[in-house]
Amino acid sequence: MRKFATVPASSTRPTFSAVPVLAGFVATFGVAYVALMAVVMTYAALTVEFSQSVRSSEAQVATLESQYLSAIANVNSTNYAAEGYAKPIAEVYVPGSRATALR
Amino acid sequence: MRAIFKFRVRVVLMVVVGIAVLIAGRLYVVQVVHGTRYSERAKQQFSAAGQSGLFDRGSIYFTTKDGTHVSAATLATGYLVAINPRLLADPTAAYDAISAVATTTLSKSAFLAAAANKNLVYVEVAHELSTAAGQRLAAENITGVEVLPERWRWYPGGSLATKTIGVVGYGTGSTLIGQSGLEEEYDPVLERSGGDLLGNFFAMLFSGAGSTLVSAQGAREGDVVTTIEPEVESRLMDDVAAMNAKHSSHSSGGIIMDPKTGAIIALATYPTYNPNNLSNVNPQLLENPLVSHVYEFGSIMKAVTMASGLSSGAISATSTYDDTGCFHVDGDRICNWNYHAYGVIPMKVIIMQSLNLGASWIAEQLGHTRMRDYFTKLFGTKTGIDLPNEATALLGNLSKPQQIYYDTASFGEGVAVTPIEMIRAEAAIANGGVLVTPHVVSSIVSQSGQTKELTWASGTRVFTRQATRETASMMNDLFSQVLYNGKYNIPGIPVSMKTGTAQLPTPTGTYYNNRFFDDEVVFFPSYNPRFIILLYTEDPKNAIYGTDTITPPMIDLIHFLINYYGITPAMAGTAS
Repeated sequence: MRKFATVPASSTRPTFSAVPVLAGFVATFGVAYVALMAVVMTYAALTVEFSQSVRSSEAQVATLESQYLSAIANVNSTNYAAEGYAKPIAEVYVPGSRATALR
Repeated sequence: MRAIFKFRVRVVLMVVVGIAVLIAGRLYVVQVVHGTRYSERAKQQFSAAGQSGLFDRGSIYFTTKDGTHVSAATLATGYLVAINPRLLADPTAAYDAISAVATTTLSKSAFLAAAANKNLVYVEVAHELSTAAGQRLAAENITGVEVLPERWRWYPGGSLATKTIGVVGYGTGSTLIGQSGLEEEYDPVLERSGGDLLGNFFAMLFSGAGSTLVSAQGAREGDVVTTIEPEVESRLMDDVAAMNAKHSSHSSGGIIMDPKTGAIIALATYPTYNPNNLSNVNPQLLENPLVSHVYEFGSIMKAVTMASGLSSGAISATSTYDDTGCFHVDGDRICNWNYHAYGVIPMKVIIMQSLNLGASWIAEQLGHTRMRDYFTKLFGTKTGIDLPNEATALLGNLSKPQQIYYDTASFGEGVAVTPIEMIRAEAAIANGGVLVTPHVVSSIVSQSGQTKELTWASGTRVFTRQATRETASMMNDLFSQVLYNGKYNIPGIPVSMKTGTAQLPTPTGTYYNNRFFDDEVVFFPSYNPRFIILLYTEDPKNAIYGTDTITPPMIDLIHFLINYYGITPAMAGTAS
């Protein structure tokens, strides 16, 4: 007669092992770490690139502003009498027309 | 089999737990036990990364009348040129190529000497090349010549408001910092310690996650927006320079301010300098005399004396006194500027004819204590303007018991104040009696783009509203009736003015008989003032009185401001 091993009823319950859970955590954290590193490095690279771009644009705008300020200085230093203009003999104030249709 | 498996699991767990404990322990040691030291090391790496990258600094802006920001100080981008003497085959050809595109470079002898030194591998030979010039040179591909990106401080307006904007320099360290003006005053806002994000990111992490996420430094740093209007500033500079040239003066200056808020619209001095080329600039020129120098302003102080007398109740607008032309006090003689005796006259004639005897009479009615109190309130403390190195007034004579010191102070001699203190005191007459805080900056724009409006102390009341109205009216009578017999009167827009001419003090404490300090103050419209202007010129050579030296540019500025800002009689207010 063939003998069968008897297994107690209590031992049929599934056993809990921490290894796969911990391995899952490790894998998740590892992937998250790599992803975060990638995001951070991309962010830093883009920030630097945008920062450089902004500075370059600002410098170009400043060049235009320099021309504007230079034009102001030229206007201020113009001798209008030498240009053929005469000082008004009188100044009066008149109501100006409105720039828009609003009343 | 099962027992072996459990044993292995326990070993693995113990190893994992052990490693975790070790890591935690190490973290504890690094972050808690030696946290400060590592934080400092991280910060050093952070700074070093910033310095090794391209120069960075916040901008300073003018503000036009419609609110547009125009750069006053910014960064220019371009290239620098460096050579590697070990690789440079033909130094002469390299020098010719570089000097053909660079506006400033080493002298040829210095260049060739550097090129001959084969111990060196990197020598910077030219800076601040334009983008086009740098790219042109780089395209030549000269072996041993490197063309590298560079940024530098640039002032698009050149000498426009330069003493207010200031300059940057190396000072005692290796980092460019503000050395004068707003560059110095707002250096913590303008400096950029962050540098290259790629280079310092891990340093930022190890400096503390909190400061990485919420950076106090980032919140502090930004751009500075001034209240200076570029077109008005340009006009004022032009007028001040022309006035100085016409009279061969030692120096000249001017301030235009909103008397109600203290916002400075323009301020200029002559001589000045170009901040984009500091190679031959006298360091003394970096000072701003408008806040750092004191002067005896002479008769424009009479307006302050009058307002003090009226406000205290010591006199009224209808009071009269007997003007004898000259009188003696404490063994000295005080006379009117023209030695004329006017007889019994009302108070407004003191301002209209600028009478020294009248001002002295008011000083006597005020008494020592009250006069000292008024002058101390007006000039005894710094104005608080946001510019560096503000000087304080010299009021020592008002601590003495002799009456003559109070008499001379009443017409602006024997007491010395800065131009910014003087315009603030006169602004109190213009605005109804309140001492405002003069200021040049209106807001800070943080790097995140948020605008932080700066608020300035509204100040304390020093004069009653009635006293200032009456004084403003007297000053308006001077402009409309006395100044060149009313020639410059502007219909519909009352202008209040006071002229001043003071003898310059000698080094021994006496006064020159033939050297003068001329000045004028104007505010308009008199009863609802938008602008107050102070002009001065020091030691003019071919004229004595302020009416000869200052009045022409002052009239030009008044008309310019009326036209530029579109001021009409409807905005002028009334005397009542």
